[in-house]
Formats: sequence, structure tokens, C-alpha cells
Amino acid sequence: MSPHENRPHEDGLPQDPQDMKLMIHALVDGELDAAAALAVERRMAADPELAAEHARLLALRGVVASLPRAAVSDDFLARIAAIAEVKDTGEGDVTQPSAITAEAQQSAQQQQGNVIAMRPRAARWFNSFDWRQMAASIALTAVLASGATQWLTTADNGSESFAVAVANGHRRSLLAATPVDIVSSDRHTVKPWLDARIGVSPAAPDMAKDGYALLGGRVEVIGDRPMPALVYRHHEHLITLVAAPRQNEAKSVPVADDLSAGGFLLVHWTDDAFSYWAISDAERPALDDFVTRFRAAVLANPAAGSPG
Amino acid sequence: MLAARFAEVVLPHLGDALSLARWLTGNTADAEDVVQEACLKAHAGIAGFAGGNARAWLLTIVRNASYTWMARNRPRSVVAVGDLADLDDVSPPPDSDADSPEAALIAKADSAAVEAAIARLPQAFRETVVLRDINGLSYREIATMLGVPQGTVMSRLARARGLLMTELGGRHEPA
Repeated sequence: MSPHENRPHEDGLPQDPQDMKLMIHALVDGELDAAAALAVERRMAADPELAAEHARLLALRGVVASLPRAAVSDDFLARIAAIAEVKDTGEGDVTQPSAITAEAQQSAQQQQGNVIAMRPRAARWFNSFDWRQMAASIALTAVLASGATQWLTTADNGSESFAVAVANGHRRSLLAATPVDIVSSDRHTVKPWLDARIGVSPAAPDMAKDGYALLGGRVEVIGDRPMPALVYRHHEHLITLVAAPRQNEAKSVPVADDLSAGGFLLVHWTDDAFSYWAISDAERPALDDFVTRFRAAVLANPAAGSPG
Repeated sequence: MLAARFAEVVLPHLGDALSLARWLTGNTADAEDVVQEACLKAHAGIAGFAGGNARAWLLTIVRNASYTWMARNRPRSVVAVGDLADLDDVSPPPDSDADSPEAALIAKADSAAVEAAIARLPQAFRETVVLRDINGLSYREIATMLGVPQGTVMSRLARARGLLMTELGGRHEPA
């Protein structure tokens, strides 16, 4: 080999072996453009040592990627969400209706209309979202939940406990700074978000054409199990949907079952994949209409959701 | 409104924030405190977030909050920034036989061993490899966050991974 041939690489890649290794890392990290990636792959094909480094890197990447991720507990999420809530109410304080001064009330009413005296909690919550058109609204929440075999398998007693838990979750969401953890009208965004966090992605049809627009999703914890929740809006009303895969032993409720708990109306039913709970403080017909349309939408497009 | 923006920008990335804080502070309980402080700062500064990568934006705040927190609570464990240049000059360990059995050994390493190996990395290497391989930031985003050239990010990453591969691949560094 002549000295001239001692520099065989005219591919623009580093001659220094250590720098060349950085290029292997960059390749594994997807930081190279196609031309550079091709050049690095050619070098690897000709150099067993580079190829071995590449193999080690891929192995390392695999084990690091499979490390358990930090879990965001419901409690912690609530603490963080409360930051925005506290700060926002500090700016236009409507948290304590009894403490509202005439001046503050006036400014609040400029934002929200006259509702504040009647529904201070709802008004504060709407204020945090600036959904002024919702100021006169009643929040409608449908919680679709399943996978909670410890509740559903224990007959009516369990269902009642579950209903109470669903009602409590609904009430908490009305008080929280936001009813959703992920804001999106696109089920292709909401489903992966839920899937990544709790491994369950329920059907999330955007039923905007029916008057039920998908707002986003959140995670609801009932018993000790996280369950996916979807939030819809119907005119001035809010709708939240939560769903998880149904277990075999769960009681089958093919026909929607009307219930109530904690001052809210509920609807409960199941299908092949999921068990659903719907909760609302709106009138029964509005809730029933939502349930009917949701079931039709899921039937029409079952691929929109999967239990796994 | 701020609350909606906060929910959109910050809340989806809490898992990443906790991961980074956990690796920087070394334990989960401290990580929650750090992330909570970071989120307070994020909320205060959210008007200044001009769009772009919300995760990188939040993680930058989390990183700063982590070091502030450690300086306050564990002053002796913080690596002074001035020391980092020395770390970057350290030459990589000599490469011994590069064969595939080593890759197989690495692939079989259990999570506890991998976590312990990452925890033992020098701070500058650890944060770089965590930002890249656990938080998934790009070289450019990491360079911006750390305030170093991309080349430094690349060399730290290579050093960090070299140390991890050495440990997990069954070769023991001289004590």
C-alpha cells in the first residue's frame, strides 16, 4: 500500500478514528442526513471495529430505552395543575365568592356575565379557559370507564362505589384548572398520549358534526387504577369521556343503565371491548343523546379504539 | 389564557421533566419537588415561551431548577461548571476487543444495572446521555440547553456511552 493510498476515505467523513466514532453515535441518534449516513454505513461495512461499536451502541440504546420511565402520579399532576389555578385566581380572584368585593365582582362580571353570583365555581373554571360563551353553561361529563374489575365484578355494590368515584372525579375536574391534560381535537393525538401513559387507547371519535367536539383527554384514577378520559364539548356544555379495556369477568351491561351519584346523573353500559360510565349535571335527554351518538360512532368505526 | 397554555405546554411533558430531575438529583421524591419548582417558574414565564419545542423549553427550566435545588440542599455534590472543560479533555478509554459478544452482554443488562451505571456517570456526562437517550432531545437542543457547542455534546455523549458500554459489557475499569 503506497502512502498515497494510505488515505482511502474521500467521503468527507473524519479521518480521525475517535471523530469517526462520533459519527457512529450521530448515525444511531438519527442526526445524519442521508448522504452522510450512507457514507458512515459504507465505512462500517469495511471496518469491523466501527461495526462492533455500532452494534454496542444499538444494544445500549435498547436497554436505556427500556428503562422504566418516571410515572406522573395523579396526585402530582393535581399539584402541578393547581399552580396555574392558584396563580390565575390570584389575578382575578373569584375563588372565594363570599370574599369578592364589589369591585372585583364587577370586573369578573365584565369577563363572565352575571353567572358568577349563581355558579361561582363554574364561572371561575370557565374564566381560566376564557370560554366566555360557556359562562352560562352546565358542564356535561360522560365518564366511560372499565378495566376496573375490582369494582365491576362485585355486582351492584361495586357499581355504586364506582359511580361515586366517577362522580367525585367529575366534580374534581370541574374544580381543577383544566379538565384535560392533553389539549387536542385530533384523536390521533389524544389516543397515543393516553396509550403512552396508561397503555389504553379507547375510541375517541370526534363527533363535531353531531355537535360533540373533542377537546382533549386526561387520566382519571378510580380505585387504584388509572383510566383514560376524553373531554367533549356540546354547545356550551362540557363532556368528558373516560375508557379502559373491559375484563372478561366484568358484568355485561349491553343496554344503557341510568344511574345517579353525588348529585350527578350517570349512564353506564358496556360493549365488547370497553365498559363505559357517563356522568352529567345536565338534563337526562342531553346525556342520553350523547351516549346514543357516541355508541353509534364507535360501532361505525371500531378501529378508532383498541383496548391494548 | 395562561391556564390553558400551561396545560398545553407544561402538563404533557411532566413525565420527561420528572425523568430528568430524577437523574439529576438522584431520587424520585426530590425530583417531584424540583419539577414543582420548575413548573412554578414555567408558569411565571410561560408568556415568554415563543412556541417551538415545549419539551426542550420545560426541560431547560427543570435542569436549572435541579442545579439550583442541589446547590441549596446538597452543596457538596454539585459539580462546578468550571470543571467541565477538564472532563471534555479526557481521552476516551482504550478500546479493547470489539466483538459482538459484548453487544450481546450489553443488551442483556438488567434495568437495575443500567440505572446504576448511569447514576455513576459524572454529572456532565449523565445529563447529556439522559437528555439524549431518555428525554429524546436532539444534539442541537442539548447544545442550546447546556450552552456548549454541538461537538462538545457529541464528545460527552460518546464518553458517557463509552463508560456505560464498558461497564455493562463486562469490562471493568481499573479502580
